[in-house]
Amino acid sequence: MRKLQSLDDLIGFRERVSAEKDLKTETPTLVVSAGTCGQASGANDIMRIIKRHILKENLGDKIELRITGCHGFCQVEPFILVEPQLHLYPQLKMEDVPRVIEAVLGGYVEEDLIYTEPQVGTKFHSQSDIPFFKKQTRTILGSNQMLDPIRIFNYFERDGYAALEKVLSKADPEWIIEEIKSSGLRGRGGAGFPAGRKWELARASGDDHQPKFVVCNCDEGDPGAYMDRSLLEGNPHSILEGMIIAGIAIGAAHGIIYVRGEYPLAIKHTMIALRQARELGLLGDDILGTGNDFEIEIVRGAGAFVCGEETALIRSVEGFMGEPKQRPPYPIERGIDGFPTCINNVETLANIRIIINSGAAEYAKVGVPGNTGTKIFSLVGKIRDTGLVEVPLGMTIGEVVHDIGGGPPGKARIKAVQTGGPSGGCIPAEHFDLPVDFDSLREAGSIMGSGGMIVMDEDTCMVDVAKYFMGFLKDESCGKCFTCRKGTQRMHEILEDITEGRGTLDQLTLLEELAVVVRDTSMCGLGQSAANPVLSTLRYFRNEYERHIVDKRCDAFVCKDLVGPPCQAACPVGTEAWRYVAHIARGEYEDAYRVIREANPFPSVCARACDHTCEQRCRAGTSGGDPIAIRALKRFITDRIEPSVYIPVRHEWQEGEPPKVAVVGAGPAGLTTAHFLSLEGYRVTVFEAEPEPGGMLFCAIPEYRLPRDVIKKEIDSLLDDNITVVCNTSLGDDITVDGLFDDGFSAVLLALGAHKSRPLGLDNEDVPGVYPSIEFLKAFNLKSEQLAKGRVGVIGGGNSAIDAARTALRQRDVESVTILYRRTRAEMPAFEEEVEAAIEEGVTIETLVSPTEIKTTSGLFSHLGCVRNSLGEPDSSGRRRPVRIEGSEHVIELDTLIVAISEDSGVDSITPARSGGIEVTDWNTVKADARTLLTSRSGVFAAGDVVTGPNTIIDAIADGKKAAVMIDHFVRGEELVQPVKSLMPTVHLDPVEVDPEEAPDDRVETPRASIEWRKRNFAEVEVGLSMQEATREARRCLRCDLEFVERTAPDVRAAGGHAE
Amino acid sequence: MINLKINGIDVSVDRGTTLLEAAQFLGLPISTLCHMEGLTPYGACRLCVVEVGDPPNSRLVTSCTYPAEEGLKVRTASARVLRARKMIVELLLASCPQSKTIQDIAAALNVRQQRFRQENEDCILCGRCVRMCAEQMVAGAIGFTGRGQDRSIGTPFDSNSEVCRLCGACMYVCPVCELRCTYNEPEKAICGGCANLAPPCVDKPQFDDMMCYMQPCVACEIKKD
Repeated sequence: MRKLQSLDDLIGFRERVSAEKDLKTETPTLVVSAGTCGQASGANDIMRIIKRHILKENLGDKIELRITGCHGFCQVEPFILVEPQLHLYPQLKMEDVPRVIEAVLGGYVEEDLIYTEPQVGTKFHSQSDIPFFKKQTRTILGSNQMLDPIRIFNYFERDGYAALEKVLSKADPEWIIEEIKSSGLRGRGGAGFPAGRKWELARASGDDHQPKFVVCNCDEGDPGAYMDRSLLEGNPHSILEGMIIAGIAIGAAHGIIYVRGEYPLAIKHTMIALRQARELGLLGDDILGTGNDFEIEIVRGAGAFVCGEETALIRSVEGFMGEPKQRPPYPIERGIDGFPTCINNVETLANIRIIINSGAAEYAKVGVPGNTGTKIFSLVGKIRDTGLVEVPLGMTIGEVVHDIGGGPPGKARIKAVQTGGPSGGCIPAEHFDLPVDFDSLREAGSIMGSGGMIVMDEDTCMVDVAKYFMGFLKDESCGKCFTCRKGTQRMHEILEDITEGRGTLDQLTLLEELAVVVRDTSMCGLGQSAANPVLSTLRYFRNEYERHIVDKRCDAFVCKDLVGPPCQAACPVGTEAWRYVAHIARGEYEDAYRVIREANPFPSVCARACDHTCEQRCRAGTSGGDPIAIRALKRFITDRIEPSVYIPVRHEWQEGEPPKVAVVGAGPAGLTTAHFLSLEGYRVTVFEAEPEPGGMLFCAIPEYRLPRDVIKKEIDSLLDDNITVVCNTSLGDDITVDGLFDDGFSAVLLALGAHKSRPLGLDNEDVPGVYPSIEFLKAFNLKSEQLAKGRVGVIGGGNSAIDAARTALRQRDVESVTILYRRTRAEMPAFEEEVEAAIEEGVTIETLVSPTEIKTTSGLFSHLGCVRNSLGEPDSSGRRRPVRIEGSEHVIELDTLIVAISEDSGVDSITPARSGGIEVTDWNTVKADARTLLTSRSGVFAAGDVVTGPNTIIDAIADGKKAAVMIDHFVRGEELVQPVKSLMPTVHLDPVEVDPEEAPDDRVETPRASIEWRKRNFAEVEVGLSMQEATREARRCLRCDLEFVERTAPDVRAAGGHAE
Repeated sequence: MINLKINGIDVSVDRGTTLLEAAQFLGLPISTLCHMEGLTPYGACRLCVVEVGDPPNSRLVTSCTYPAEEGLKVRTASARVLRARKMIVELLLASCPQSKTIQDIAAALNVRQQRFRQENEDCILCGRCVRMCAEQMVAGAIGFTGRGQDRSIGTPFDSNSEVCRLCGACMYVCPVCELRCTYNEPEKAICGGCANLAPPCVDKPQFDDMMCYMQPCVACEIKKD
């Protein structure tokens, strides 16, 4: 390359390069992203295959290959992007590469391989239409895909060094500074100091004889952030250009690129770029004959996080240990070797050429006032599309996370976003309308930092997050100043105590006090922001801390020492699922039954109709495989073992006459309380409004899921001499709370359930043909009335809607059943297997549709007016809100409409007027203290659906168990709230040796009756497992308990495994 | 001269005077630990923080390193300063409860308990010894190694130093050393301040002849008894 001698040389050179480029725009080009991320995903293999194919087929003049840095869409790497059509073929395997090349040559799209949006399934033919790219403004990152970082010609083709040309032709450093100032560019390293102002100070600093330094800070140490690396790797010349301009602006002749040693590719590309720039005469003495000298050297950092801090960076460049120095003096006055030093982030420098090329005014149009331009974020964590995204400052977090990132990858809801790396803060989902800019983030208790964005969902424990980051900071604090070194250690120590169950509320106060002091008194930015993870999680997620400390529970199932075996922790009644599964594996079925029955008085019912949160948390499932079929195993046991095998421990009442307790409602909650109180010697009277005990088990759950004789047998096994059941007696009509106390009952439990469906709030809801789901199910289950006729519509997406739909399908005069749900199937709250079974049986599910009008013909329901929805912003529950599409109104012809949107408690009967002093909520549930279940009236407790609204059976049973304990404490005059019990296993069961070769890894299929047969009758759909299947399934269990039991009770193990 | 206001009092000082010196000139008590006259200000212990500027934009800075600025408003004992100082003392007490210096500072600030898990460290890494060795003794025998919780003071590669003259100045300036060097068994007598030097008092065969700059060197006292 000939050295360019003057500005005119440079202009001429670019013209020649551009002219050459115009000649070859026709040739299709394969673009392979081969940054560090791409290479790690296998881009090198893809490149090799492409090259070999081109050589073999002699395609050299028909196709071009461009190897570039990271494009940002790291989720789909390795991929090939085809220019000029911008077809994107993601996650390619080596064997698929020739097919892509064939398609490019043939001018068609390979539909099997083209980018398809996950979960949605839409195929996109152009990169620019893909949702991940569509909302981005890729002024800086966008050029990465257009150029090969080791070819300076590529850079020239894309206006390379045009900004330098402009700057040199103006020959006015003040003009540059003015441009940068009026563009409003703020430093992208995190603090957001105006870049123009910094340059102005640097220019004014020092005297004319002193050397000055420009430093490009590429010491990017944040876990999960790699935008600086991608820029330096993908477009090194843009950084060099920014630095040369900075040097001219502030009058510096020395440039230093401080880059981490962990970025070898970035270093390599930068070194190549430096050599090329030197050869062309763009670096060195007297650049292009303009009298400006500028030379750049690379300094490699050794990987200390603190060296990203400017004073520590200077020490490191000087060759000392990287530790900060108290400012003032600022580096602008006294930096490297005591000379003025201007330190800018990589991304700031990448913006310079954009500003100079487009003009400050044009640049300032992007973003919001005070925060102009774009910012690159690395979007990682629990999100569908991870990668680097570049958006205008001021875009909301919600847009970045949901529109660009595509929302959560699975069903778990997104809970928070952590911005700014380890010393940033967490912003909860409620605040996702917050614009991402320097000032808003700081107000919200976080920082922009270098732009890391870690998305967290419900399975992330915020205390654990704070602990993780504090652990990082504790290790990375340089240790010079006492508050940062010791403060981070102590904060980590307290967080460790909290996550391991030793925390106290006093420690929480101390943690907060300490965090504030560390923030206030630390020497450098690292310490000053080190408290952010703690302070921001305390600000938004204090309840999680308190739950860890007070209740000793971690709801995200992360803190092992609080959770124990996840299946047990997930069960509301604390069933030791691991233990009975182990017994099944060992063939000890009676022991297994005892384990189940000890925790749960309704084992057979739950074996059929439980929502099995144990399986959702099962580690065999969360670690990537299929969870153990725990419910099916429970069914296997309860089908074989008689309830009489379990003989509960009974206590006689010691002093005087046993106290009387009244339970209103004979559902699962009420009966559970009655049973456990009876074991303590109480005399319990259960009042039931319906003719038979069972509550919702009878009324709402269809027989095909839960046969009647199973319920009856289970209830019979619970009733004993201490329990009297009085049926056909309802609160309000036959008995009152006051009356019960007058009759000598010491305590009253309200367990009425939720028996009223919530109306749609439309006109004509009371016409014949429209039924609330509970009424519909009750009419059938209790009185065998078949209300559904002809074409049936069911509105709702919960279990009650599915139950109603499947019951309707089995009724005599029904032609078809359609479920109408306002969101998509992914958001349906009903159990997945129920939805599947319903579809199998022929129920149609129409999603994204809401009813607007109930139309009648001669007084009978005949048509339903509907409107289509699209999904909008997420609501408080994290699910995306349905938004009506204007003009999509349509009418569906129906004969029966079942409304199953939600249920209310039958609270009419206990309004304060009738029963005196029991408060209810706005949602028509009884107000009860969550910890004690005590209502506003002393001696009156409430449990089950009447408190929570429609809920699962197992939650009702758990409430019932708790109510029994609370009532016992109350009657004995003891403190209601007792210390929490640990969930750690206490029993050791030797695992069964399984030959690893034969060990099964797939989950047993729950056998179901054939569709054709079951559709028209009410016989049970699910069939039990065989002994062989059960043993095989039980042996799949990972036995998470062993980890804990050995730690907590080594003597139990020594005793041969049987603690009892 | 530079004019500034400290706790509402107008004061004029020479350029380059630190806030600590200015405050001491006025007789205002500011506790210090890593600061020592004759050594360059280091700002590591953070005890001497003062509040500068007007709330809510005020901030805490270390007075030992902050140069006086024209028109600066300084408060040396605001609620925020005291809260920070007390927490720092609590942290110090939790780590080095045996130091007489730290006990005295705690007493002066009325800190009577610490709420962290008690430790018994022998060094707060204030760096006095390192600066003493480098600046006054011009030896540079010891320095910092490691970072974060692994930071410690020692000779290069933790081997016996060739430049150390066993002058003991490092121990003399150590604020937590006094009671630490109370043993006379060689393996326990090692003071963190000069971690890998051979402590002079145990190197000698006869304790009567030894040279020790500690006042009082309890180790010797014990042996004599």
